[in-house]
Amino acid sequence: MTDNSNLALSLKDVRKKYGDHEALKGVSIDVPKGSIYGLLGPNGAGKTTLIRMIAGITGPDSGSISFFGKPLQADDIDKIGYLPEERGLYKNMRVGEQAMYFARLRGMNKATAERELRGWFKRLDVDGWWNKEVADLSKGMAQKVQFIVSVLHKPKLLILDEPLSGFDPINAQRIRNEIIRLRDEEGCTILLSTHDMSSVDELCDHVALVNHGEKILEGEVLHLRERARAGRVNFSFKGNLIAFTAALGGSAILHNVHSEGNDLHHMELGIPSETPIENFLRWSTQEVDVISCSPRIVSMDEVFLKAVNSINS
Amino acid sequence: MNKWLIIVGREFKTRIRRKAFIIATLLGPFLFVGFIAAIVYFTSASETDAKILVVDSSEIISYEMQEGVVVPDSICVQCFPEREFLEYRFTKERISVDEFLASDYTAMVEFDEGILQSSKALLEYETTVPLRVKAALKRDLSEAIERIRVKEEANLDYETYKKLKVSIGFVTQDVITKDKNAENRSIVGWGFSMFMFMFILVYGMHVMRGVIEEKSNRIVEVVVSVVKPRQLMAAKIAGIGLVGLSQILIWSLLSWVLFLGFGAYAESSGMLTSILADQGVEVAATDMTTFISSHEDLGFLTQINWITMLFWGVFFYIGGYALYGSMFAAVGASVEQEQDAQYLMMPVMLPLMFSYILNMQILESPETTLATVCSYIPFTSPVTMMVRISMGVTWWEILCSAIILIITVILMINLAGRIYRTGIFMYGKKPTLREMLKWIRYKG
Repeated sequence: MTDNSNLALSLKDVRKKYGDHEALKGVSIDVPKGSIYGLLGPNGAGKTTLIRMIAGITGPDSGSISFFGKPLQADDIDKIGYLPEERGLYKNMRVGEQAMYFARLRGMNKATAERELRGWFKRLDVDGWWNKEVADLSKGMAQKVQFIVSVLHKPKLLILDEPLSGFDPINAQRIRNEIIRLRDEEGCTILLSTHDMSSVDELCDHVALVNHGEKILEGEVLHLRERARAGRVNFSFKGNLIAFTAALGGSAILHNVHSEGNDLHHMELGIPSETPIENFLRWSTQEVDVISCSPRIVSMDEVFLKAVNSINS
Repeated sequence: MNKWLIIVGREFKTRIRRKAFIIATLLGPFLFVGFIAAIVYFTSASETDAKILVVDSSEIISYEMQEGVVVPDSICVQCFPEREFLEYRFTKERISVDEFLASDYTAMVEFDEGILQSSKALLEYETTVPLRVKAALKRDLSEAIERIRVKEEANLDYETYKKLKVSIGFVTQDVITKDKNAENRSIVGWGFSMFMFMFILVYGMHVMRGVIEEKSNRIVEVVVSVVKPRQLMAAKIAGIGLVGLSQILIWSLLSWVLFLGFGAYAESSGMLTSILADQGVEVAATDMTTFISSHEDLGFLTQINWITMLFWGVFFYIGGYALYGSMFAAVGASVEQEQDAQYLMMPVMLPLMFSYILNMQILESPETTLATVCSYIPFTSPVTMMVRISMGVTWWEILCSAIILIITVILMINLAGRIYRTGIFMYGKKPTLREMLKWIRYKG
């Protein structure tokens, strides 16, 4: 039995079938407390089913879900915030009234709900919207209200499904900052499902990748990226390319060489893991005029594509 | 429970404050009162000429002048003047119903010893006799009776004369059904059942639209993470049902107030007495209720037990609405937009439509087996039973029908809830009816 004390959420061998379709084929994930956990996967991978189970909308056919060390129960729902992917608001209600409705559904009393709401409205710059008709809001404005509604009751676990879609870059950044603030200041654990890999790079500490109802990858973002980098560095120098290649021999593998004139060369080098990078640098500065050498940045995009492609092939 | 009530409250509040609802709720009662006024107007304004057959078998007011020609005798001849809209024929022998139906007589009235004693004449008709004709007929017959009485008195003094004065009343009877005033009463029942049909349909559609709205904008996902899908569905049905119920109660109350107000006005302004005077009835004063109960065409209104009708009306509305509302909820949950719901609505609306059409038939012949059976089948009983209640039906029949309805509602909410909880998460393809039925067996 693993130690669950530092986990906000732990799913063990969760399965779900819809008729003949097996949506989840035994998925286990562990979400550490206070982390931003990215749930990735192509469309139809089973992410939404997974999220709905955690949000208490459906139950698994088999397997267990524990929430802060205890089996997930109906009462826990007030400690969970949920922003579904394609979302809307009631058109025939005013913004403030609607936000109050959802707050009260989450078990908040009127006074607290109103105080919190006013605070959030101020923070996200939607002060004057309280009495606005929802029908008059732009898509971005509505998205902000939906975001506020899902975090208002200070959930311990916040599930965000594509939270940034529909926002302009400025507001997207604002929401990103709010997500980070929620984790850092309020100790909220955040489960983030998204296709936007740049926000995974920027926000997530951990990720899990699901495909066809199965988890194919899980771990810390830094670790996964390091692994996918596979010791590659970006290397630029001035000098003779042929001589350098000859001197290199088999100690590193050359990829993607790109030359500017006869003298300036950029390339990607695969350095075996047993060779420390300092040794390689010491050696190379003796051979050529090194301009730069840096670990290649592997984006989560690449990690994602690589993992999915290797499974599919 | 608390959260459930919050949902019910939202469903109720957001609908009850809509302009369309407020306008319809406030204007409705004026339409009812207008409807009653229209009956009065059209019955008195119908200008078709009437031909009345007076059956004078004992030759009290007429004699056989020659073979087959019966005319008023010298005493009564002035009582039956020529009028442009009313013509009299006299006969010694009663004619059969078939003969009456084949003839061009509007109505027939029997003049016998009984009418001299009780001052009540039996007026038989196929279609309702216009008010104006009835008023004239009443005046003429009363005068004839007075003349006969005066003739029988030798030394007439004023006191005796006063005693002889008479104003006859009619007992109207449909020659075919032999039922006195049943037809009119059933019109009220028919009105009730029309409202029932309308309310069930309108508010059932509200449920469907509400479910589709929540599904298509995904709010449903947020809400069902807080309450169970079936609770959400029930809360929606309850909240919208309360809106309908409020409308019914406000309508009833407003109509009543309006009726009382109009009655008080009509009474104090002398409107009623002048209407009666137009018809040749002299009274010092009358109130609305007396006026209506003595009114030939509206009298039936006071024979109806309004409290009973309202009670069962509300009951069958709640039952029928809950039944159809849950089916509409299941339909709404299965589609993403209203246009897609059309083909699924058909099977739901069919029994409701059927009971609507059946109503017309029940009006003509209320005691058919079909009507009786349909007043027990929960899908038709809310509409059909109302007509039968207005025409008089034993309490245990109503109770039976009510119990069947309650049981079916519970079963249907359960069944629809199963379709609902699966349907609200199904996006993409439109489901077939068979697939929806399959969802019933899915686990939650």
